Amino acid sequence: MSEDAVEHHEWESSPWPLVLSVGILFFAPFAFSMYFVYDSLFMSVVCLGIGVPLILISVIGWAKESIGPINMYTKEQGLGTPAMPLFILAEAFIFIGFLVAYWVLRLTADVWPPEGSPHIGYTTPIVMTIILVSSSITMHFAEHKLEHDDRKGFIGFLVVSIILGAIFLGLSASEWSHLLHGGFTTSTNIFGSVFYSITGFHASHVVVGLCMFLAALLMALSGSISKTYVKSISMYWHFVDIVWFFVVSQVYFW
Amino acid sequence: MSGSKGGIGKFLREWIFTIDHKRVGILYLIGSLAAFAVAGLMAMLMRIELSSVGPTITDPNTYNVWLYFHGAAMILGFQIPALTGFFANWLIPLQIGAKDVAFPRLNALSLWLFWMGIVLALLTFVVPNPPDIMWTAYPPYSILSPGNTAFYSFTVLIMGFASIAGGVNLITTIIYMRAPGMRWGKLNMFVWCTMAAFILQLIFVPILGTAVTMISMDKYLGTTFFSPTSGGDVLLYQNLFWFYSHPAVYVILLPVLGIIFDIVATFARNRIFNYKVAVYGGVGGILLVSGEVWIHHLYASGMPNWIRIGMMMSTLLISVPVGLCVLSIIGTLYRGAIEFKTPMLYAVGFIFLFLIGGLTGIPLALAALDIFIHDTHFIVAHFHYVMAVAGTFSIIGGIYYYWPKFTGKMYNETLGKIGFVITFIGVNITFFAMFFVGLEGMPRRYFDYAQMPQLEDGQRLVTYGAFILAVGFLIILISWLHSLFAGKPAPDNPWGSKSLEWTTTTPPGPGNWPEVPDCEDFDPYGYGE
Repeated sequence: MSEDAVEHHEWESSPWPLVLSVGILFFAPFAFSMYFVYDSLFMSVVCLGIGVPLILISVIGWAKESIGPINMYTKEQGLGTPAMPLFILAEAFIFIGFLVAYWVLRLTADVWPPEGSPHIGYTTPIVMTIILVSSSITMHFAEHKLEHDDRKGFIGFLVVSIILGAIFLGLSASEWSHLLHGGFTTSTNIFGSVFYSITGFHASHVVVGLCMFLAALLMALSGSISKTYVKSISMYWHFVDIVWFFVVSQVYFW
Repeated sequence: MSGSKGGIGKFLREWIFTIDHKRVGILYLIGSLAAFAVAGLMAMLMRIELSSVGPTITDPNTYNVWLYFHGAAMILGFQIPALTGFFANWLIPLQIGAKDVAFPRLNALSLWLFWMGIVLALLTFVVPNPPDIMWTAYPPYSILSPGNTAFYSFTVLIMGFASIAGGVNLITTIIYMRAPGMRWGKLNMFVWCTMAAFILQLIFVPILGTAVTMISMDKYLGTTFFSPTSGGDVLLYQNLFWFYSHPAVYVILLPVLGIIFDIVATFARNRIFNYKVAVYGGVGGILLVSGEVWIHHLYASGMPNWIRIGMMMSTLLISVPVGLCVLSIIGTLYRGAIEFKTPMLYAVGFIFLFLIGGLTGIPLALAALDIFIHDTHFIVAHFHYVMAVAGTFSIIGGIYYYWPKFTGKMYNETLGKIGFVITFIGVNITFFAMFFVGLEGMPRRYFDYAQMPQLEDGQRLVTYGAFILAVGFLIILISWLHSLFAGKPAPDNPWGSKSLEWTTTTPPGPGNWPEVPDCEDFDPYGYGE
């Protein structure tokens, strides 16, 4: 508490939350509306050109600030682990929303699968499941290594997890492109809508997880890694893994 | 405490880039009051339009845009941010004895994402093809409309993410950052209520997120979730939407009750009547039941009878925990040394308005009756009483109550009371008359009522009421501005409250207290012992 008393007259500040919000405004709503609503690819690219750098700069700036001295009034870094489950609760409900929509539509349909649905092979989803589960296990080992202050071991397992996650994404992308080339799109029928949106949302979570892993890797290579951060992202990754069981069992195997 | 002595750079650093919970809260307040002003202007324009039969000042399309903006901005831009943004951010760390929230930067991110949502909503007036789909965005119109549905979806998504981040942040704060000795059994009612509201946000906002995402995917990416010709289901949207949007009423109601609890306890100099029942039965009960009542918005949408009857029961059931809270509020007044300062007037006004709103909710909860008054002005009057006006009264009362603390200035008591009286009269003329216009058959959302010219007198009365209301709000605004520029400096604890937030300096500095307060012998409602 002694630092508190010394610094008591300073207001805490950080420009990055504001910059990040502006970046998100350009990146998502503006770029999307320009392309899809106002049919202007050029303006859409301009918006992305403004948004993406702003997001990158602010994320890096934010990360640098949180590596440095912790916010003096809070135990900011200590509370990441208990806060993550709350965020995961909210995330889970996104998937519950999509899955409930799927169940309602499927159970009230006259015939299932609806006309025009291709047969989706079982091999790819099984391989994808094995890969994602192993990446969860390697991430657990990475966390364990960091717990015992084995930085090399941590980096090794983290890299393996990142590679496995990337392979998962690659398989997902190749399956999508295979299906799309076969003429099965989001608008083919209701199964197309459900299939692409649920797998797409899951894949987007994998992408976010991989970004957080990359950030952890960069921090570990630069020598300062927060155990709380690693615990949180590993929790998030296990969540993405668990969601995958629902996705694969409901969308592929049912 | 303003950045007057350091120039623009200091102002930028201390206000715009701030991550301090109190300043983040005040920036939330400014944004939400701006949304309130613009959305209120829309309401006035709509009232002028409805004051006479036939097109009065506009055409149906513009009216739809006003209607869209009024609903979306009042709920997503004003009430939810004012309560879960301003009050929660500003008060919770002060009431639990923390120096800041758990994640100050994330807090600022929530704030600015909310502001980006406001920007997006305001762009509605500038862009070609503005959204004209109501805040409900029911398909198929929201998909077929030429309007920019994407703006609506992204406004909801951005503000929703801000809410989720805010919820994660403040729940973590409440659980892990209470001052030593601040046990669960002696938290302020506001903390309990807001925590419950945030739990609701965490669970239900993502569902709204999926619903509006599906709307935009249907419209722009070719999916067919809500298109019956391709195996979709229109009612699916209504269910997903109200699965969030009914609990959203409780996201608003819970902090509102929390503010009223604290105001009433302070000005009645009394402890909360039945604290434990209010917390576990009232707040906990609302938390448990609020997710199981949404079908009462869909009585007329073609739901199976067993769902309608089941949800009718749960809708009636939820009046029990809400009633427990109101009972506690009224019980707190009993044998209290009541002092009618402006905030207390608003609290008492709230009880009255909430009672009318709640009682008119009972016929609406009964499916058999609701079929006949569904989508009329009766329902508009009902939810304005119970949520819009009662909520706003609590917000304004809360602002008056904490005004000395967060601005450091006292407001003029006479101006405050005049503002209350005029607003209260205006509200009751506007919305009480609206009940009768609705019972006579005036449908909601309509731009004209050429088939029912006999309603013109009633409609005009409603419009007159709205103008009185506008004058009232103007006086409230004047009283705030007057206080900011000419108010007397406020003492640390002008109301003599026992609550923890009044123990710090006025206005509180960075870090709130020099040392984390020791709350071993502390009781926020320990009056008269």
